[in-house]
Amino acid sequence: MAENTIALISFVLTLMVFSYLLGDVPLVGNLYRIAVYIFIGMTAAFTLIVSYEGLILPYLQDIQDPATSWTLLGNRVDITIFFTALLFGLLILLKPFKSLTWLTNSVLAVVIAVGAAVGLVGALTGTLFPLLQATVAIPEDVTADFSALVDSLLIFVGAMTGLYYFHYQVRAKAEVGAEQSRVGRGLRHIGKAVLVTALGAIYASTILTCLTILTERIGFLFQFGA
Amino acid sequence: MGRGQRFGAFLSALVAFAVGVTVMLSLLLGDNPALFGNQPGSDELARRLALPADALLRLVAIFLALSIVIGIANLLFVHVSRLKSGKFYSAVLLASFGFTVFWYVTRQGDTSLLEAVQLPIESALAALLFVSLVHGGSRVMSKRGDLWGLLFVAVVVLVLLGSLPLAELAPLQAWSDWLMRIPVSAGARAMLLGIALGIVTAGLRALLGQDRSYRG
Repeated sequence: MAENTIALISFVLTLMVFSYLLGDVPLVGNLYRIAVYIFIGMTAAFTLIVSYEGLILPYLQDIQDPATSWTLLGNRVDITIFFTALLFGLLILLKPFKSLTWLTNSVLAVVIAVGAAVGLVGALTGTLFPLLQATVAIPEDVTADFSALVDSLLIFVGAMTGLYYFHYQVRAKAEVGAEQSRVGRGLRHIGKAVLVTALGAIYASTILTCLTILTERIGFLFQFGA
Repeated sequence: MGRGQRFGAFLSALVAFAVGVTVMLSLLLGDNPALFGNQPGSDELARRLALPADALLRLVAIFLALSIVIGIANLLFVHVSRLKSGKFYSAVLLASFGFTVFWYVTRQGDTSLLEAVQLPIESALAALLFVSLVHGGSRVMSKRGDLWGLLFVAVVVLVLLGSLPLAELAPLQAWSDWLMRIPVSAGARAMLLGIALGIVTAGLRALLGQDRSYRG
């Protein structure tokens, strides 16, 4: 496609999406919805292409070559894995048949169990342990860099009170009417302040990102118009 | 619940437990010879222990790709059925889908359709999000004018002003930097730790059969 054509289509589609800002004006109001439906159709098509070309096709090509093996267990095991996945896909389609639900549920159980195990190991080794280590880490030379120690302490207190705030909410529901101690309430407020600050900063960062994209789009519209 | 259904539920829970524990142990022990004291044969043992997770992850990856294909087929069937009742937008969606597949099949490797349609719509939608976010921020103060709402808006304004490259705002930039370095870092860690703890709890509940969401 020629560059001018790409620019023209981009220009029209950008205006169609921005027509959302005009609200429910007759005819113009439909342009936004048309752009969104074009987007959904195209996204579905690209997702289908990527799933087929990125996952299904390479596996299909690999199992046809006896010399290759993904799992180092030999080509036969690879073929078994591929056809088991195909069988799983077919079993999922049996969901509407009540008498065969146990088969569909067993397939879903395998997928959910693998997902849960990967999530569990990932959360433990990738988030929980490294983050806890980083949070409780004390600077090597405390006397030389006292401010670093204060910063580490503040981050530790902030993170722990933030976690305490989550914990407090669960207990508040479980023990209706149970009074929190002053210290508990104080820690809860510190935790809430830390979390509100973090959420505010994340919100501001998202606004900045969107503002950058908006500036680029408006720049493109003016550039094309000129 | 009938006898057959009870057996089905028991079987699903048993399969989930067996598969989940196998994958978990395989991921934790596999490909890590140091766990076995670096003795002769520990490399081979570690490699063999990693195989069950590798095989099951590939199985699930292919299955998920097939599920996506089934999902997209379902989307198309729904819109074809809507087409019969004269829905114009369904026709737009189907035409867009058909044209993209046709374009890709006839012009392998040509990404200009992505540049001309997909990227501008995505960028324009992200740009529209700016308006929604600013509107949402202003509503925080009108709907929730307490201390926490005030703190939230103050942090948003401070971070936004701190990002401006103006010499007059240097003190604000220093405050904004400190805010990002200490309280925001602490809050983000608390949230990440909370999410990780939530994942661990949900994962254990699924593996132990406490949370049988796969029963449908």
